[in-house]
Amino acid sequence: MTTRRDKIGNVFCHIYLIILAVVAFFPLVWVLLCSVKTSGDLTANPTRILPKHFTLENFLHVINELGFAENIANSLLIAISTTCIAIVISSMAAYGIVRFFPKLGSIMSKVLVTTYMFPPILLAIPYSMVMAKAGLVNTRIGLVIVYLSFSVPYAVWMLVGFFKTVPIGIEEAARVDGANKLQTFVQIVLPLVMPGIVATAIYTFINAWNEFLYSLILINSTEKMTVSVALKSLQGAEILNWGDMMAASALVVVPSVVFFMFIQNKIAGGMTEGAVK
Amino acid sequence: MKRKVKFDYARWIFVLPALVIVGALLIYPIFSSLYYSMTTKHLIRASYDFIGVDNYKAVLSDSNFYKAFFTSILWTVGSLFGQLFIGFTAALAINRVNMGKGVYRTLMIIPWAFPSIVIALSWKWILNGVSGFVPNLLVQLGICSELPQFLSDSGLVFLTLIFINVWFGAPMIMVNVLSALQTIPQEQYEAAQIDGASKVQQFWYITVPHIKIVVGLLVVLRTIWVFNNFDIIYLLTGGGPANATTTMPIYAYNMGWNTKLLGRSSAVTMLLLAFLLMICVVYFTIIGKWEKEDK
Repeated sequence: MTTRRDKIGNVFCHIYLIILAVVAFFPLVWVLLCSVKTSGDLTANPTRILPKHFTLENFLHVINELGFAENIANSLLIAISTTCIAIVISSMAAYGIVRFFPKLGSIMSKVLVTTYMFPPILLAIPYSMVMAKAGLVNTRIGLVIVYLSFSVPYAVWMLVGFFKTVPIGIEEAARVDGANKLQTFVQIVLPLVMPGIVATAIYTFINAWNEFLYSLILINSTEKMTVSVALKSLQGAEILNWGDMMAASALVVVPSVVFFMFIQNKIAGGMTEGAVK
Repeated sequence: MKRKVKFDYARWIFVLPALVIVGALLIYPIFSSLYYSMTTKHLIRASYDFIGVDNYKAVLSDSNFYKAFFTSILWTVGSLFGQLFIGFTAALAINRVNMGKGVYRTLMIIPWAFPSIVIALSWKWILNGVSGFVPNLLVQLGICSELPQFLSDSGLVFLTLIFINVWFGAPMIMVNVLSALQTIPQEQYEAAQIDGASKVQQFWYITVPHIKIVVGLLVVLRTIWVFNNFDIIYLLTGGGPANATTTMPIYAYNMGWNTKLLGRSSAVTMLLLAFLLMICVVYFTIIGKWEKEDK
Protein backbone atom coordinates (compact mmCIF):
# COMPACT_ATOMS: atom_id res chain seq x y z
CA MET A 1 0.00 0.00 0.00
CA THR A 2 2.21 2.73 -1.26
CA THR A 3 0.61 6.09 -1.19
CA ARG A 4 1.31 8.91 -3.61
CA ARG A 5 3.29 10.67 -0.91
CA ASP A 6 5.52 7.64 -0.42
CA LYS A 7 6.22 7.53 -4.13
CA ILE A 8 7.22 11.19 -4.26
CA GLY A 9 9.39 10.61 -1.21
CA ASN A 10 11.10 7.73 -2.95
CA VAL A 11 11.81 9.80 -6.03
CA PHE A 12 13.39 12.50 -3.86
CA CYS A 13 15.49 9.86 -2.09
CA HIS A 14 16.76 8.58 -5.42
CA ILE A 15 17.60 12.07 -6.66
CA TYR A 16 19.43 12.84 -3.42
CA LEU A 17 21.33 9.55 -3.54
CA ILE A 18 22.29 9.99 -7.18
CA ILE A 19 23.72 13.45 -6.43
CA LEU A 20 25.67 12.10 -3.46
CA ALA A 21 26.91 9.09 -5.39
CA VAL A 22 28.13 11.26 -8.26
CA VAL A 23 29.99 13.60 -5.90
CA ALA A 24 31.48 10.65 -4.00
CA PHE A 25 32.51 8.85 -7.14
CA PHE A 26 33.66 11.78 -9.26
CA PRO A 27 37.23 12.30 -7.99
CA LEU A 28 38.12 8.67 -8.69
CA VAL A 29 36.73 8.88 -12.22
CA TRP A 30 38.47 12.19 -12.79
CA VAL A 31 41.83 10.86 -11.59
CA LEU A 32 41.50 7.87 -13.91
CA LEU A 33 40.40 9.94 -16.90
CA CYS A 34 43.11 12.51 -16.41
CA SER A 35 45.80 9.89 -15.93
CA VAL A 36 45.44 8.90 -19.61
CA LYS A 37 45.22 12.43 -21.02
CA THR A 38 47.99 14.26 -22.81
CA SER A 39 49.13 17.56 -21.34
CA GLY A 40 47.25 19.32 -24.14
CA ASP A 41 44.02 17.59 -23.16
CA LEU A 42 44.57 18.35 -19.49
CA THR A 43 44.77 22.10 -19.97
CA ALA A 44 42.26 22.33 -22.83
CA ASN A 45 39.79 25.16 -22.58
CA PRO A 46 36.89 24.47 -22.32
CA THR A 47 37.58 21.48 -20.07
CA ARG A 48 37.66 18.23 -21.97
CA ILE A 49 35.95 15.41 -20.09
CA LEU A 50 37.12 12.45 -22.13
CA PRO A 51 40.71 12.25 -23.37
CA LYS A 52 41.03 13.19 -27.06
CA HIS A 53 44.29 11.30 -27.38
CA PHE A 54 44.45 8.27 -25.11
CA THR A 55 47.99 7.89 -23.77
CA LEU A 56 49.87 5.78 -21.25
CA GLU A 57 52.76 8.22 -21.42
CA ASN A 58 52.09 9.52 -17.88
CA PHE A 59 52.23 6.06 -16.36
CA LEU A 60 55.41 5.17 -18.22
CA HIS A 61 57.02 8.44 -17.19
CA VAL A 62 56.07 8.02 -13.54
CA ILE A 63 57.33 4.45 -13.38
CA ASN A 64 60.43 4.66 -15.56
CA GLU A 65 61.70 8.19 -15.01
CA LEU A 66 60.49 9.05 -11.54
CA GLY A 67 61.17 5.67 -9.95
CA PHE A 68 57.63 5.26 -8.69
CA ALA A 69 57.87 1.48 -8.99
CA GLU A 70 60.43 1.58 -6.20
CA ASN A 71 58.06 3.58 -4.00
CA ILE A 72 55.29 1.11 -4.70
CA ALA A 73 57.60 -1.75 -3.72
CA ASN A 74 58.50 0.07 -0.48
CA SER A 75 54.89 0.70 0.40
CA LEU A 76 53.92 -2.87 -0.40
CA LEU A 77 56.72 -4.27 1.72
CA ILE A 78 55.91 -1.98 4.64
CA ALA A 79 52.16 -2.45 4.44
CA ILE A 80 52.36 -6.24 4.10
CA SER A 81 54.84 -6.59 6.97
CA THR A 82 52.73 -4.34 9.17
CA THR A 83 49.62 -6.33 8.32
CA CYS A 84 51.17 -9.74 9.01
CA ILE A 85 52.67 -8.75 12.34
CA ALA A 86 49.61 -6.81 13.43
CA ILE A 87 47.21 -9.59 12.54
CA VAL A 88 49.12 -12.31 14.40
CA ILE A 89 49.46 -10.17 17.53
CA SER A 90 45.92 -8.82 17.35
CA SER A 91 44.16 -12.14 16.73
CA MET A 92 45.87 -13.62 19.78
CA ALA A 93 45.02 -10.59 21.87
CA ALA A 94 41.42 -10.40 20.70
CA TYR A 95 40.90 -14.09 21.42
CA GLY A 96 42.60 -13.74 24.79
CA ILE A 97 40.41 -10.81 25.72
CA VAL A 98 37.21 -12.55 24.69
CA ARG A 99 37.98 -15.94 26.23
CA PHE A 100 40.28 -15.51 29.19
CA PHE A 101 39.72 -11.99 30.47
CA PRO A 102 35.98 -11.44 30.42
CA LYS A 103 36.15 -8.78 33.13
CA LEU A 104 39.55 -7.31 32.39
CA GLY A 105 38.56 -7.43 28.73
CA SER A 106 36.23 -4.46 28.90
CA ILE A 107 38.99 -2.43 30.55
CA MET A 108 41.45 -3.52 27.88
CA SER A 109 38.99 -2.52 25.17
CA LYS A 110 38.61 0.88 26.81
CA VAL A 111 42.37 1.34 26.91
CA LEU A 112 42.45 0.57 23.21
CA VAL A 113 39.74 3.13 22.51
CA THR A 114 41.67 5.66 24.52
CA THR A 115 44.75 5.17 22.39
CA TYR A 116 42.68 6.30 19.43
CA MET A 117 42.61 9.68 21.14
CA PHE A 118 46.37 10.20 21.03
CA PRO A 119 47.15 12.76 18.36
CA PRO A 120 49.48 11.22 15.75
CA ILE A 121 51.40 14.48 15.79
CA LEU A 122 52.03 13.97 19.52
CA LEU A 123 53.38 10.47 18.95
CA ALA A 124 55.46 11.63 15.99
CA ILE A 125 57.85 13.57 18.23
CA PRO A 126 58.87 10.72 20.56
CA TYR A 127 58.92 8.29 17.63
CA SER A 128 61.36 10.40 15.67
CA MET A 129 63.62 10.66 18.72
CA VAL A 130 63.47 7.00 19.70
CA MET A 131 64.06 5.93 16.12
CA ALA A 132 67.06 8.24 15.92
CA LYS A 133 68.50 6.69 19.09
CA ALA A 134 67.86 3.17 17.84
CA GLY A 135 69.38 3.96 14.46
CA LEU A 136 66.09 3.24 12.73
CA VAL A 137 65.46 6.63 11.17
CA ASN A 138 65.08 6.33 7.44
CA THR A 139 64.56 2.57 7.58
CA ARG A 140 61.56 0.57 6.51
CA ILE A 141 61.72 -1.51 9.70
CA GLY A 142 61.38 1.64 11.76
CA LEU A 143 58.27 2.59 9.85
CA VAL A 144 56.73 -0.87 10.29
CA ILE A 145 57.25 -0.65 14.05
CA VAL A 146 55.61 2.75 14.17
CA TYR A 147 52.71 1.56 12.03
CA LEU A 148 51.96 -1.14 14.60
CA SER A 149 51.03 1.66 16.99
CA PHE A 150 47.83 2.36 15.13
CA SER A 151 47.29 -1.04 13.45
CA VAL A 152 47.32 -3.24 16.54
CA PRO A 153 44.77 -1.39 18.72
CA TYR A 154 42.44 -0.99 15.80
CA ALA A 155 42.75 -4.59 14.64
CA VAL A 156 42.21 -5.90 18.19
CA TRP A 157 39.11 -3.79 18.48
CA MET A 158 37.67 -5.07 15.23
CA LEU A 159 38.65 -8.67 15.90
CA VAL A 160 37.10 -8.76 19.37
CA GLY A 161 33.76 -8.34 17.61
CA PHE A 162 34.45 -11.31 15.35
CA PHE A 163 35.77 -13.61 18.09
CA LYS A 164 32.70 -12.97 20.19
CA THR A 165 30.64 -14.79 17.60
CA VAL A 166 32.45 -18.11 18.22
CA PRO A 167 30.33 -20.30 20.52
CA ILE A 168 32.29 -21.51 23.53
CA GLY A 169 30.73 -24.97 23.28
CA ILE A 170 32.84 -25.88 20.26
CA GLU A 171 35.99 -25.02 22.16
CA GLU A 172 35.00 -26.96 25.23
CA ALA A 173 34.48 -30.02 23.09
CA ALA A 174 38.00 -29.66 21.72
CA ARG A 175 39.39 -29.19 25.21
CA VAL A 176 37.69 -32.36 26.38
CA ASP A 177 39.42 -34.14 23.52
CA GLY A 178 42.71 -33.03 25.04
CA ALA A 179 43.64 -30.01 22.93
CA ASN A 180 45.51 -27.28 24.79
CA LYS A 181 44.73 -23.57 24.56
CA LEU A 182 47.00 -22.91 21.62
CA GLN A 183 45.75 -25.92 19.65
CA THR A 184 42.15 -24.94 20.29
CA PHE A 185 42.92 -21.44 19.11
CA VAL A 186 44.77 -22.41 15.93
CA GLN A 187 42.76 -25.45 14.87
CA ILE A 188 39.24 -24.65 16.02
CA VAL A 189 38.76 -20.93 16.50
CA LEU A 190 40.89 -19.38 13.77
CA PRO A 191 39.21 -21.15 10.87
CA LEU A 192 35.82 -20.02 12.18
CA VAL A 193 36.76 -16.34 12.28
CA MET A 194 38.89 -16.39 9.13
CA PRO A 195 36.53 -14.14 7.13
CA GLY A 196 36.72 -11.56 9.90
CA ILE A 197 40.48 -11.84 10.08
CA VAL A 198 40.80 -11.39 6.33
CA ALA A 199 38.62 -8.29 6.45
CA THR A 200 40.65 -6.87 9.33
CA ALA A 201 43.88 -7.67 7.51
CA ILE A 202 42.74 -5.87 4.39
CA TYR A 203 41.68 -2.85 6.42
CA THR A 204 45.04 -2.82 8.19
CA PHE A 205 46.80 -3.05 4.85
CA ILE A 206 44.83 -0.14 3.40
CA ASN A 207 45.57 2.05 6.40
CA ALA A 208 49.29 1.29 6.26
CA TRP A 209 49.37 1.80 2.50
CA ASN A 210 47.57 5.15 2.86
CA GLU A 211 49.57 6.47 5.83
CA PHE A 212 51.30 9.82 5.39
CA LEU A 213 52.50 11.67 8.53
CA TYR A 214 54.91 9.13 10.03
CA SER A 215 56.29 8.32 6.64
CA LEU A 216 56.90 12.02 6.03
CA ILE A 217 58.74 12.43 9.32
CA LEU A 218 60.73 9.20 9.46
CA ILE A 219 61.80 8.61 5.86
CA ASN A 220 63.94 11.14 4.05
CA SER A 221 65.73 9.38 1.20
CA THR A 222 63.99 9.07 -2.15
CA GLU A 223 64.69 5.38 -2.61
CA LYS A 224 62.99 4.47 0.68
CA MET A 225 59.96 6.74 0.34
CA THR A 226 56.48 5.31 0.50
CA VAL A 227 53.94 6.14 -2.19
CA SER A 228 52.22 8.91 -0.19
CA VAL A 229 55.40 10.85 0.42
CA ALA A 230 56.69 10.24 -3.11
CA LEU A 231 53.41 11.62 -4.43
CA LYS A 232 53.76 14.62 -2.16
CA SER A 233 57.23 15.25 -3.54
CA LEU A 234 55.85 15.31 -7.10
CA GLN A 235 53.76 18.21 -5.94
CA GLY A 236 56.87 20.10 -4.92
CA ALA A 237 58.38 19.98 -8.41
CA GLU A 238 59.22 23.22 -10.22
CA ILE A 239 56.72 22.66 -12.99
CA LEU A 240 53.58 20.87 -11.90
CA ASN A 241 52.89 17.96 -14.17
CA TRP A 242 49.30 17.07 -13.46
CA GLY A 243 49.37 14.13 -15.87
CA ASP A 244 52.13 12.51 -13.83
CA MET A 245 50.39 13.28 -10.59
CA MET A 246 47.11 11.78 -11.77
CA ALA A 247 48.82 8.65 -13.08
CA ALA A 248 50.70 8.18 -9.79
CA SER A 249 47.51 8.90 -7.83
CA ALA A 250 45.69 6.26 -9.86
CA LEU A 251 48.38 3.71 -9.02
CA VAL A 252 47.99 4.48 -5.32
CA VAL A 253 44.25 4.82 -5.01
CA VAL A 254 43.02 1.97 -7.20
CA PRO A 255 44.38 -0.85 -4.98
CA SER A 256 42.88 0.83 -1.91
CA VAL A 257 39.47 1.19 -3.50
CA VAL A 258 39.44 -2.32 -4.93
CA PHE A 259 40.39 -3.89 -1.60
CA PHE A 260 37.88 -1.75 0.17
CA MET A 261 35.10 -3.03 -2.08
CA PHE A 262 35.83 -6.58 -0.94
CA ILE A 263 35.44 -5.82 2.73
CA GLN A 264 32.76 -3.15 2.68
CA ASN A 265 30.15 -5.43 4.21
CA LYS A 266 32.41 -6.66 6.96
CA ILE A 267 33.68 -3.23 7.86
CA ALA A 268 30.21 -1.89 8.57
CA GLY A 269 29.75 -1.71 12.26
CA GLY A 270 33.17 -3.20 12.91
CA MET A 271 34.20 0.03 14.53
CA THR A 272 31.27 0.60 16.82
CA GLU A 273 30.28 -2.98 17.52
CA GLY A 274 33.37 -3.78 19.58
CA ALA A 275 32.45 -1.06 21.99
CA VAL A 276 28.68 -1.35 21.99
CA LYS A 277 28.30 -5.02 22.75
CA MET B 1 33.47 -23.63 37.31
CA LYS B 2 36.48 -24.48 39.42
CA ARG B 3 39.64 -22.46 38.79
CA LYS B 4 42.99 -24.14 38.60
CA VAL B 5 45.17 -23.27 41.55
CA LYS B 6 48.27 -23.21 39.37
CA PHE B 7 48.97 -19.78 37.85
CA ASP B 8 47.52 -19.85 34.40
CA TYR B 9 50.25 -18.32 32.30
CA ALA B 10 48.97 -19.51 28.89
CA ARG B 11 46.21 -16.93 28.79
CA TRP B 12 48.71 -14.15 29.37
CA ILE B 13 50.76 -15.27 26.40
CA PHE B 14 47.81 -14.44 24.18
CA VAL B 15 47.54 -10.82 25.24
CA LEU B 16 51.15 -10.08 26.11
CA PRO B 17 52.47 -9.07 22.66
CA ALA B 18 49.63 -6.61 22.17
CA LEU B 19 50.15 -5.20 25.66
CA VAL B 20 53.83 -4.72 24.92
CA ILE B 21 53.02 -2.89 21.68
CA VAL B 22 50.48 -0.65 23.37
CA GLY B 23 52.86 0.03 26.24
CA ALA B 24 55.92 0.70 24.12
CA LEU B 25 54.28 2.54 21.25
CA LEU B 26 51.49 4.41 22.97
CA ILE B 27 51.92 4.71 26.72
CA TYR B 28 55.66 5.35 26.80
CA PRO B 29 55.59 8.08 24.10
CA ILE B 30 52.95 10.00 26.04
CA PHE B 31 55.20 10.19 29.08
CA SER B 32 58.23 10.94 27.02
CA SER B 33 56.34 13.76 25.30
CA LEU B 34 55.29 15.08 28.68
CA TYR B 35 58.94 15.12 29.69
CA TYR B 36 60.18 16.74 26.49
CA SER B 37 57.46 19.37 26.75
CA MET B 38 59.36 20.65 29.79
CA THR B 39 62.72 20.84 28.03
CA THR B 40 64.39 22.93 25.34
CA LYS B 41 64.64 19.89 23.06
CA HIS B 42 65.62 21.01 19.57
CA LEU B 43 65.17 19.17 16.26
CA ILE B 44 68.87 19.32 15.38
CA ARG B 45 70.90 20.42 18.43
CA ALA B 46 71.77 17.49 20.68
CA SER B 47 71.84 19.11 24.12
CA TYR B 48 68.79 20.38 25.93
CA ASP B 49 67.82 21.65 29.39
CA PHE B 50 64.92 21.12 31.71
CA ILE B 51 62.92 24.32 31.93
CA GLY B 52 59.74 23.33 33.79
CA VAL B 53 56.56 24.87 32.46
CA ASP B 54 58.21 27.61 30.40
CA ASN B 55 57.16 26.02 27.11
CA TYR B 56 53.56 25.97 28.24
CA LYS B 57 53.82 29.62 29.26
CA ALA B 58 55.30 30.53 25.89
CA VAL B 59 52.65 28.62 23.99
CA LEU B 60 49.79 29.97 26.06
CA SER B 61 50.93 33.53 25.48
CA ASP B 62 51.23 33.09 21.71
CA SER B 63 48.26 34.62 19.90
CA ASN B 64 48.82 32.21 16.99
CA PHE B 65 48.15 29.31 19.34
CA TYR B 66 44.69 30.64 20.16
CA LYS B 67 44.05 31.32 16.52
CA ALA B 68 45.00 27.73 15.68
CA PHE B 69 42.82 26.49 18.53
CA PHE B 70 39.75 28.32 17.25
CA THR B 71 40.48 27.24 13.69
CA SER B 72 40.59 23.67 14.98
CA ILE B 73 37.25 24.07 16.74
CA LEU B 74 35.64 25.51 13.62
CA TRP B 75 37.18 22.80 11.47
CA THR B 76 35.97 20.06 13.82
CA VAL B 77 32.47 21.38 14.40
CA GLY B 78 31.95 22.26 10.73
CA SER B 79 33.24 18.94 9.43
CA LEU B 80 31.42 16.91 12.03
CA PHE B 81 28.12 18.64 11.42
CA GLY B 82 28.46 18.16 7.68
CA GLN B 83 29.57 14.53 7.93
CA LEU B 84 26.76 13.66 10.32
CA PHE B 85 24.13 15.42 8.27
CA ILE B 86 25.16 13.88 4.95
CA GLY B 87 26.00 10.46 6.41
CA PHE B 88 22.77 10.27 8.36
CA THR B 89 20.45 11.45 5.60
CA ALA B 90 22.18 9.20 3.07
CA ALA B 91 21.72 6.20 5.37
CA LEU B 92 18.03 7.00 5.87
CA ALA B 93 17.54 7.43 2.13
CA ILE B 94 19.30 4.15 1.27
CA ASN B 95 17.31 2.38 3.96
CA ARG B 96 14.11 3.69 2.44
CA VAL B 97 14.55 3.04 -1.28
CA ASN B 98 13.89 -0.42 -2.71
CA MET B 99 16.08 -0.31 -5.77
CA GLY B 100 19.84 0.10 -6.06
CA LYS B 101 20.67 0.03 -2.34
CA GLY B 102 23.89 -1.86 -2.95
CA VAL B 103 24.96 0.30 -5.88
CA TYR B 104 24.47 3.55 -3.99
CA ARG B 105 26.28 2.19 -0.97
CA THR B 106 29.22 0.94 -2.99
CA LEU B 107 29.62 4.18 -4.92
CA MET B 108 29.30 6.34 -1.82
CA ILE B 109 31.79 4.35 0.19
CA ILE B 110 34.65 5.07 -2.25
CA PRO B 111 36.00 8.24 -0.58
CA TRP B 112 36.64 6.25 2.60
CA ALA B 113 39.36 4.27 0.81
CA PHE B 114 41.19 7.36 -0.45
CA PRO B 115 44.71 7.97 0.90
CA SER B 116 45.00 11.53 2.15
CA ILE B 117 47.59 12.42 -0.48
CA VAL B 118 45.21 11.36 -3.25
CA ILE B 119 42.35 13.24 -1.59
CA ALA B 120 44.58 16.29 -1.73
CA LEU B 121 45.87 15.86 -5.28
CA SER B 122 42.56 14.90 -6.84
CA TRP B 123 40.69 17.80 -5.25
CA LYS B 124 43.51 20.23 -5.96
CA TRP B 125 43.26 19.27 -9.59
CA ILE B 126 39.45 19.32 -9.71
CA LEU B 127 39.41 22.74 -8.04
CA ASN B 128 42.50 24.07 -9.84
CA GLY B 129 42.12 27.79 -10.46
CA VAL B 130 43.20 27.59 -14.12
CA SER B 131 42.20 24.28 -15.68
CA GLY B 132 40.17 22.77 -12.86
CA PHE B 133 36.90 21.02 -13.70
CA VAL B 134 34.68 22.71 -11.13
CA PRO B 135 35.84 26.34 -11.56
CA ASN B 136 35.50 26.08 -15.34
CA LEU B 137 32.11 24.44 -15.01
CA LEU B 138 30.88 27.22 -12.74
CA VAL B 139 32.01 29.84 -15.24
CA GLN B 140 30.42 28.01 -18.15
CA LEU B 141 27.14 27.71 -16.30
CA GLY B 142 27.29 31.43 -15.65
CA ILE B 143 27.32 30.98 -11.86
CA CYS B 144 30.68 32.71 -11.52
CA SER B 145 32.00 35.49 -13.74
CA GLU B 146 35.64 34.51 -13.23
CA LEU B 147 37.39 31.33 -12.14
CA PRO B 148 36.93 30.88 -8.37
CA GLN B 149 40.14 30.13 -6.45
CA PHE B 150 38.79 27.57 -3.99
CA LEU B 151 42.07 26.78 -2.28
CA SER B 152 43.79 30.15 -2.22
CA ASP B 153 40.96 32.63 -1.73
CA SER B 154 40.94 33.26 2.02
CA GLY B 155 37.16 33.63 1.97
CA LEU B 156 36.58 30.26 0.30
CA VAL B 157 39.41 28.05 1.48
CA PHE B 158 37.96 27.07 4.83
CA LEU B 159 34.61 26.07 3.38
CA THR B 160 36.40 24.13 0.66
CA LEU B 161 38.40 22.17 3.24
CA ILE B 162 35.28 21.38 5.21
CA PHE B 163 33.52 20.26 2.06
CA ILE B 164 36.40 17.90 1.24
CA ASN B 165 36.46 16.54 4.78
CA VAL B 166 32.71 15.93 4.63
CA TRP B 167 33.18 14.17 1.30
CA PHE B 168 35.80 11.96 2.92
CA GLY B 169 34.13 11.33 6.30
CA ALA B 170 30.42 11.04 5.52
CA PRO B 171 30.70 7.49 4.08
CA MET B 172 31.91 6.13 7.41
CA ILE B 173 28.94 7.64 9.22
CA MET B 174 26.61 6.45 6.47
CA VAL B 175 27.79 2.84 6.61
CA ASN B 176 27.65 2.62 10.39
CA VAL B 177 24.27 4.30 10.70
CA LEU B 178 22.92 2.10 7.92
CA SER B 179 24.02 -1.08 9.69
CA ALA B 180 22.49 0.20 12.93
CA LEU B 181 19.23 1.00 11.12
CA GLN B 182 19.07 -2.52 9.78
CA THR B 183 19.10 -3.98 13.29
CA ILE B 184 15.81 -2.29 14.16
CA PRO B 185 13.02 -4.88 14.13
CA GLN B 186 10.49 -4.05 11.39
CA GLU B 187 7.58 -5.17 13.59
CA GLN B 188 8.05 -2.09 15.73
CA TYR B 189 7.31 0.14 12.76
CA GLU B 190 4.34 -1.98 11.75
CA ALA B 191 2.94 -1.85 15.26
CA ALA B 192 3.44 1.90 15.37
CA GLN B 193 1.69 2.29 12.04
CA ILE B 194 -1.32 0.35 13.30
CA ASP B 195 -1.42 2.59 16.34
CA GLY B 196 -1.54 5.54 13.95
CA ALA B 197 1.92 6.98 14.61
CA SER B 198 3.14 9.42 11.97
CA LYS B 199 6.44 8.99 10.11
CA VAL B 200 7.99 11.73 12.23
CA GLN B 201 6.81 10.06 15.43
CA GLN B 202 8.14 6.70 14.25
CA PHE B 203 11.48 8.35 13.58
CA TRP B 204 11.71 9.96 17.03
CA TYR B 205 10.35 7.11 19.10
CA ILE B 206 11.68 4.06 17.26
CA THR B 207 14.61 4.99 15.01
CA VAL B 208 16.38 7.50 17.23
CA PRO B 209 16.43 5.46 20.46
CA HIS B 210 17.74 2.43 18.58
CA ILE B 211 20.66 4.12 16.94
CA LYS B 212 21.60 6.88 19.31
CA ILE B 213 24.37 4.98 21.08
CA VAL B 214 26.01 4.02 17.78
CA VAL B 215 25.70 7.59 16.57
CA GLY B 216 27.08 8.87 19.87
CA LEU B 217 30.12 6.65 19.53
CA LEU B 218 30.59 7.73 15.95
CA VAL B 219 30.53 11.34 17.06
CA VAL B 220 33.24 10.60 19.63
CA LEU B 221 35.44 8.78 17.13
CA ARG B 222 34.96 11.37 14.41
CA THR B 223 35.55 14.31 16.77
CA ILE B 224 38.86 12.81 17.82
CA TRP B 225 39.82 11.94 14.28
CA VAL B 226 38.93 15.30 12.74
CA PHE B 227 40.49 17.26 15.57
CA ASN B 228 43.73 15.30 15.26
CA ASN B 229 43.77 15.25 11.49
CA PHE B 230 46.94 16.63 10.04
CA ASP B 231 47.19 15.21 6.52
CA ILE B 232 44.21 16.70 4.75
CA ILE B 233 44.87 20.34 5.61
CA TYR B 234 48.65 20.02 5.43
CA LEU B 235 48.48 18.51 1.96
CA LEU B 236 45.77 20.78 0.60
CA THR B 237 46.80 24.19 1.89
CA GLY B 238 49.75 23.67 4.24
CA GLY B 239 47.83 25.82 6.74
CA GLY B 240 47.66 28.81 4.43
CA PRO B 241 46.85 31.21 2.94
CA ALA B 242 48.30 33.38 5.71
CA ASN B 243 47.60 30.83 8.46
CA ALA B 244 43.86 30.91 7.65
CA THR B 245 43.68 27.11 7.86
CA THR B 246 46.34 26.41 10.50
CA THR B 247 44.77 23.99 12.97
CA MET B 248 46.45 22.75 16.15
CA PRO B 249 48.21 19.73 14.58
CA ILE B 250 49.61 21.95 11.80
CA TYR B 251 50.68 24.53 14.35
CA ALA B 252 52.42 21.82 16.38
CA TYR B 253 54.08 20.38 13.29
CA ASN B 254 55.41 23.78 12.20
CA MET B 255 56.65 24.44 15.72
CA GLY B 256 58.55 21.16 15.71
CA TRP B 257 59.75 20.74 12.16
CA ASN B 258 60.01 24.30 10.84
CA THR B 259 60.85 26.35 13.92
CA LYS B 260 62.65 23.21 15.15
CA LEU B 261 61.49 23.66 18.75
CA LEU B 262 60.50 20.07 19.51
CA GLY B 263 60.12 20.75 23.22
CA ARG B 264 57.64 23.53 22.65
CA SER B 265 55.89 21.46 19.99
CA SER B 266 55.46 18.70 22.59
CA ALA B 267 53.83 21.21 24.90
CA VAL B 268 51.34 22.06 22.14
CA THR B 269 50.53 18.40 21.55
CA MET B 270 50.07 17.77 25.28
CA LEU B 271 47.58 20.64 25.42
CA LEU B 272 45.86 19.12 22.41
CA LEU B 273 45.57 15.77 24.19
CA ALA B 274 44.33 17.41 27.39
CA PHE B 275 41.60 19.16 25.45
CA LEU B 276 40.55 15.93 23.70
CA LEU B 277 40.44 14.11 27.03
CA MET B 278 38.09 16.73 28.41
CA ILE B 279 35.80 16.47 25.40
CA CYS B 280 35.77 12.68 25.62
CA VAL B 281 34.92 12.66 29.31
CA VAL B 282 31.88 14.79 28.51
CA TYR B 283 30.88 12.55 25.60
CA PHE B 284 31.30 9.32 27.50
CA THR B 285 29.29 10.66 30.42
CA ILE B 286 26.42 11.36 28.05
CA ILE B 287 26.68 7.99 26.30
CA GLY B 288 26.96 6.22 29.67
CA LYS B 289 23.68 7.86 30.71
CA TRP B 290 22.00 6.66 27.51
CA GLU B 291 23.24 3.13 28.08
CA LYS B 292 21.78 3.15 31.61
CA GLU B 293 18.44 4.40 30.28
CA ASP B 294 18.43 1.50 27.83
CA LYS B 295 18.73 -1.09 30.56
